[in-house]
Amino acid sequence: METLHQLVGLFPYAILGSILAGVICSFLGIFIVSQRVVFLGAVLTQVAIAGVAFSFLHIIHIETFIANILGVPVQGNDFLHNFEPIFYSLLFAILTVIVFSQTHHQKYLTQDGILGIIFVVTIAVRIMFIQKSPIADIAEVESILKGDILFISQKEFIILALILIFTLSVFTIFRKQLQFVTFDAESASAHGINSKVWLLIFYIIVGTGISLTTRFVGDVFAFAYLIIPSSIGILLSKKVKNVFLIAVLVGAIVPPISIYFAFKFDFSSGPTAVVTAFILFLIVFLIKKWRG
Amino acid sequence: MNKEIIKFTDASIGYGKTIVASGINLSIAENDFVGIVGPNGAGKTTLLKSLLGNIKLISGNLFKDQIRFGYVPQRDTVQPLLPYTVSDVVMMGRYSLSGPFQKMSNYDKRIVEESLAYIGMSELKDKNYNSLSGGQRQRTLIARALAVEPTVLILDEPTNGMDTPSHYSLLDLITRLHNEKKLTIFLVSHLLTDVANIVKKIILIDKKYFQFGNIEEILSETNLRNTYSSDFHVSLIDGEYVITPKHLKKN
Repeated sequence: METLHQLVGLFPYAILGSILAGVICSFLGIFIVSQRVVFLGAVLTQVAIAGVAFSFLHIIHIETFIANILGVPVQGNDFLHNFEPIFYSLLFAILTVIVFSQTHHQKYLTQDGILGIIFVVTIAVRIMFIQKSPIADIAEVESILKGDILFISQKEFIILALILIFTLSVFTIFRKQLQFVTFDAESASAHGINSKVWLLIFYIIVGTGISLTTRFVGDVFAFAYLIIPSSIGILLSKKVKNVFLIAVLVGAIVPPISIYFAFKFDFSSGPTAVVTAFILFLIVFLIKKWRG
Repeated sequence: MNKEIIKFTDASIGYGKTIVASGINLSIAENDFVGIVGPNGAGKTTLLKSLLGNIKLISGNLFKDQIRFGYVPQRDTVQPLLPYTVSDVVMMGRYSLSGPFQKMSNYDKRIVEESLAYIGMSELKDKNYNSLSGGQRQRTLIARALAVEPTVLILDEPTNGMDTPSHYSLLDLITRLHNEKKLTIFLVSHLLTDVANIVKKIILIDKKYFQFGNIEEILSETNLRNTYSSDFHVSLIDGEYVITPKHLKKN
């Protein structure tokens, strides 16, 4: 109990932020898993990190450009200071999903092949960006790039809340179109729904959600929570609504519990959250298999 | 003579600048029942996509009257991981008619129920789509196309990989849709005998060969040889067409 009090006192936004990040990832993960593009999730987490690494090079000063437009100084402006990493992480992710969304009927390469190429190139350029970064300590840069649940601040919590509201709103308003094109894009087109445009919108929302969440909670957490909660939901439920409900519940409940374990037993929070979710998945899988 | 609803004039179809088939001239009237046959890669799917407006004609003209398409894809292309029920899948047919902020109305629900009842799937409406047999899945996809309240129904290889009873039961259903609901139907199939015995008009399509007309005019051994580059034997037994490759006939 004392540990819990200490944890809540020291890291209140980490606990709340982990819930939001878990919900965002598990919600988007249902679409990623059901579309059979799990590797896209892995690629987007790495692309997001490469975007942040690129921002450290300060090649193009977006923040100065925006400060000039707004007529405000960059110095001491927290929003502008944090804008560049988020901007590039988002830009890289959106460019990736635009390229990916055009590869559905690619003649010469499979989608997996294309994602594999983006994946390795992204990791390579990230290393190159870090090597040329003015920040001296590579380990420090890596830790900044990968994010950490425990260091979620109030500001990051608000951004996560906004991402969640945005994601849920878009998927609620355009539920019918997105559901149809992700279920059967060919028939949706035949029935007058522009599948190409809707799939592009779908991937942009997914890319936005994943890239921003990765920035705050790290790639391991983001990727794991894209796959594991949705897989648990699919294993347990016989109705689509319940898949969403179960996945989102797992995404909301498991991260704060695992932060508690991480704090109590002195583990890193991200990997602990992943392992806890995996143990839950394993239990569900074995019970399901046992029951036939 | 029924009203003309679709007309291709000197059309070339394909992707980008690559022509898949050319010299397409055809006129479809209300309540026509048209079979589309041809070898693999001949342009059957490209013709359907052009008709649906998903790809533009490379040249020529396409006239479409005020028609609404219902489309039934090959069922193997629809394999969801999420546990959609039969009812969920059929309701998707109504999505294309509903705006982003609109809720599905009682009318939408009634149309879904009626579509399911028509194809004899009402009792399975709460079943998981993935748990259905091939024939039931195909019927569900037909019900989804009916839920669009179409004037033209397009079926792409609907009987592929089905056992014999399901195969003939589905062909009966398609014929019933044409006769009772007065739908204009396009049926794409590899099975020449099936197509020949249920459609009224036929399209024979290959890269450099296109024929369209009434079944008795078009279904000749010469036209089939020109389309498939192999010999067929066409016989009419008790009013039913039987089409077999000539080498099988010899054996």
